[in-house]
Amino acid sequence: MSACTPKSLASSGQKPIQEMCHPLGAEEAVLTPSPDVRNLTSSIGEKDQILTNGTPVETSSPSSSSSLLNRLQLDDDLDGETRDLFVTVDDPKKHVSTMETYITYRVVTKTTRVEFDLPEYTVRRRYQDFDWLRTKLEDSQPTHLIPPLPEKFVMKGVVDRFSEEFVETRRKALDKFLKRVADHPVLSFNEHLNSFLSAKDLNKRQGLALLSKMGESVKYVTGGYKLRGRPVEFSAMGDYLDMFTQKLGTIDRIAQRIIKEQSEYLAELKEYGPVYTTWAASEVELQGPLEGVASCMANCSIALDELTQDMSGDFLPVLREYVLYIESMKAVLKKRDNVQAEYEAKREAAALRKEERPTAKVPTDVEKCQDRVECFNADLKSDWDQWQNNKTQDFRQLLTGMADHNIQYYEKCLAAWDLCVFQFLTGHLHRRQKSEED
Amino acid sequence: MMADSGSEEIAVIGNTDLTSAELENNIKNTMVEIEKWTSVLRKMEISVGEAEKRTGKNTVNMQEIYTVYLIETRPVDAVTEGIIPAPDSLWRRYSEFELLRNYLLVTYPFVVVAPLPEKRAEIVWHKLSADNMDPDFVERRRVGLENFLLRLASHPVLCNDKIFYIFLTEEKGWKEMVYETGFQAKADSRLKAMNAAFRVKNPDKRFTELKHYSDELQTVVSQLLRVRACRNSQNIKIEAAESKKLCKIFLQRVADRLYGVYKVHGNYGRVFSEWSAIEKEMGDGLQSAGHHMDAYAASVDDILEEEEHYADQLKEYLFYTEALRAVCRKHELTQFELEMAAQDLASKKQQKEELVTGTVRTFSLKGMTSKLFGQETAEQREVKLQVLEQQIEEGEEAVKEKNAESDEFVKTAWIDIEHFKDQKDRDLKEALISYAIMQISRCKKGIQVWTNAKECFNKM
Repeated sequence: MSACTPKSLASSGQKPIQEMCHPLGAEEAVLTPSPDVRNLTSSIGEKDQILTNGTPVETSSPSSSSSLLNRLQLDDDLDGETRDLFVTVDDPKKHVSTMETYITYRVVTKTTRVEFDLPEYTVRRRYQDFDWLRTKLEDSQPTHLIPPLPEKFVMKGVVDRFSEEFVETRRKALDKFLKRVADHPVLSFNEHLNSFLSAKDLNKRQGLALLSKMGESVKYVTGGYKLRGRPVEFSAMGDYLDMFTQKLGTIDRIAQRIIKEQSEYLAELKEYGPVYTTWAASEVELQGPLEGVASCMANCSIALDELTQDMSGDFLPVLREYVLYIESMKAVLKKRDNVQAEYEAKREAAALRKEERPTAKVPTDVEKCQDRVECFNADLKSDWDQWQNNKTQDFRQLLTGMADHNIQYYEKCLAAWDLCVFQFLTGHLHRRQKSEED
Repeated sequence: MMADSGSEEIAVIGNTDLTSAELENNIKNTMVEIEKWTSVLRKMEISVGEAEKRTGKNTVNMQEIYTVYLIETRPVDAVTEGIIPAPDSLWRRYSEFELLRNYLLVTYPFVVVAPLPEKRAEIVWHKLSADNMDPDFVERRRVGLENFLLRLASHPVLCNDKIFYIFLTEEKGWKEMVYETGFQAKADSRLKAMNAAFRVKNPDKRFTELKHYSDELQTVVSQLLRVRACRNSQNIKIEAAESKKLCKIFLQRVADRLYGVYKVHGNYGRVFSEWSAIEKEMGDGLQSAGHHMDAYAASVDDILEEEEHYADQLKEYLFYTEALRAVCRKHELTQFELEMAAQDLASKKQQKEELVTGTVRTFSLKGMTSKLFGQETAEQREVKLQVLEQQIEEGEEAVKEKNAESDEFVKTAWIDIEHFKDQKDRDLKEALISYAIMQISRCKKGIQVWTNAKECFNKM
């Protein structure tokens, strides 16, 4: 059994990976056992070559399950049809107890998966519970990218934790988090997710979780191992993430600046419009047109206000959440580096010993490390591809959303001014008619 | 009323201080000239073309640089057989326009005379300097001067003025002509009189209302333009240091903010371009969306130009309120003079009565001394009586004149004011509609740009 299969598999009663019916594949699909199992059978020598040369570790052969997954998941159409796990986070409610006040969210699950006893579940969860879930996922699936949660700590004096805006922003982020987990081919089968979605009371066993987390992290953030040759593709990922973070930061600043400018513009407009009303009071012929302009300005102000709110509420939070996502991804890349470094170190040590005692066998822990590395690389790559795909979709949605908000703003203003001109002309005609009649 | 006849009455009434001989001369001259130019003026194209810089010596014999404007005139019906003849042209500087306007103000006190564009760049638009040499300022002044001339040419009374005609047609010697009319002296005395504090006993209600209206209009348009002396202008991104002591402009502030909003979107253009370089699938969509953001940011310049144009239209009427108030004030002056003349007459009559009846009702030093030192002789009394009667006769004439003057003023002023009101209503209504249409166009462009950007995003 490779070291890379999740620990939970053995204990929870879930079927081992090899035997699972993959959600995206028909039962007769050519699903070879996972790459780690396959790799065990090939010679270690070959693997050495590939890894030390620094060439990309080609684990995704056409028949490997992970690459099949990738190709299937990149196809959007299949996604909708074959998904069998749907989750939603909604209905935030405030709970007041003697000790504390907090918000819970309703989590609704609909599924046809056999891993679940019922087809539908509705539970209430609070942020803490989401945090627990994420920690469990990180621990049990260390080679996978776990989607981020919204910020945990909020400065009590600065942000109102119970304001509608804040709660709604958080709800959306939590919903996104769960959806991403549910869509993940490996994470969605995690037993902790199952408990999270279905159990009446989460038996969190925080203490134990903390301990095990420490244990895992010790393994993966091993000190002292220096990485020799990082495969090019992972370096490329790291570079991309750095540049992408930078761009996101810039976009965040621009968006904030626009919101600020719009707010100031709005403030001016609110003072400017009413002057027309004052003016109208001292005019006779011009009274109608001037009042028309005043009310039009008022409507435009409202529209602008809505635009600013929408951008603050929809655009900025998603942008910021992606920064968190990138941080997670970078952390995973780092873990991978450490695992590889550890493997290289152990391998060298083993090679040295072999020189001294040529007949000695390759120690098993070196093999284990190699497995870990390959497993990690494979998982990471498949996650990366999915992440890229999701990212494209997410940003497409985000940016078209931004365009939509602006279009709506201009449409509202257009309607207001159209009405204004219409009133001018009809008022004018009406007066002309009147004077002709007189 | 006056538009068709080019009546000499108008010129005469304006010059109330002329002797009868001068009056006759004036009439003769104007009758000759009137035929010549009134019909031409009504069908004349006037335009203020380029502006040029000149150097010369000013009144204190120092070198200065000033701007001159080219005035071109051409009879409208001169376009025959499709050949447009070259226009007559001459150069004038701003101070000459000012002279013309001052002349008209004094000569036609009942007319609401169109305002000139600002002398100094006091109401500075959002761009840069308060410099009179700044090309944008010069251009906007050119437009303002042309507008001023067109206003005069379309005014039923002013269009017939000889000095105005010469201003447009003869470059040399015009200034001397204006001074020869002697309006300066009148201007000085009128200015003194107007600035003096006096109270009218029976003010004409309509003029009082008119004054209130012009005050209100001034307040409101000032607010829209927010012309207000202010000490710190930190909200405005005007680079020129001098502008810190200048007025804060409201429409400008709105325009400034709008400018900010549009321009920052240009930053999206840049970052999308940079971002597209590191993306594979999303690259093209981002790149083209970025171009649309750049176009969006650039579109604000045209928008601001149109806002500026609207502000200029409001500004003209802001300055018009001063002219309105001037007419009210002149009327008050006329009324005051009438009341003074009437009072004077009344007191003379009183004195006569006392002299005749021998009763002293009003205290006078003469009366006291005569009481103390003996009565006057009958001869003396007779002389005094004759003098008084003469004075009374003159006084009655004066009152009659002043009355006629006042009536004429009120009549003509009120006609001009109605004319002004109609013009104002028409102009401002048009300005408002244009403004609304401009906003509609802006909204449509906004929708277009964002729709284009959205398409690019969808292709990512």
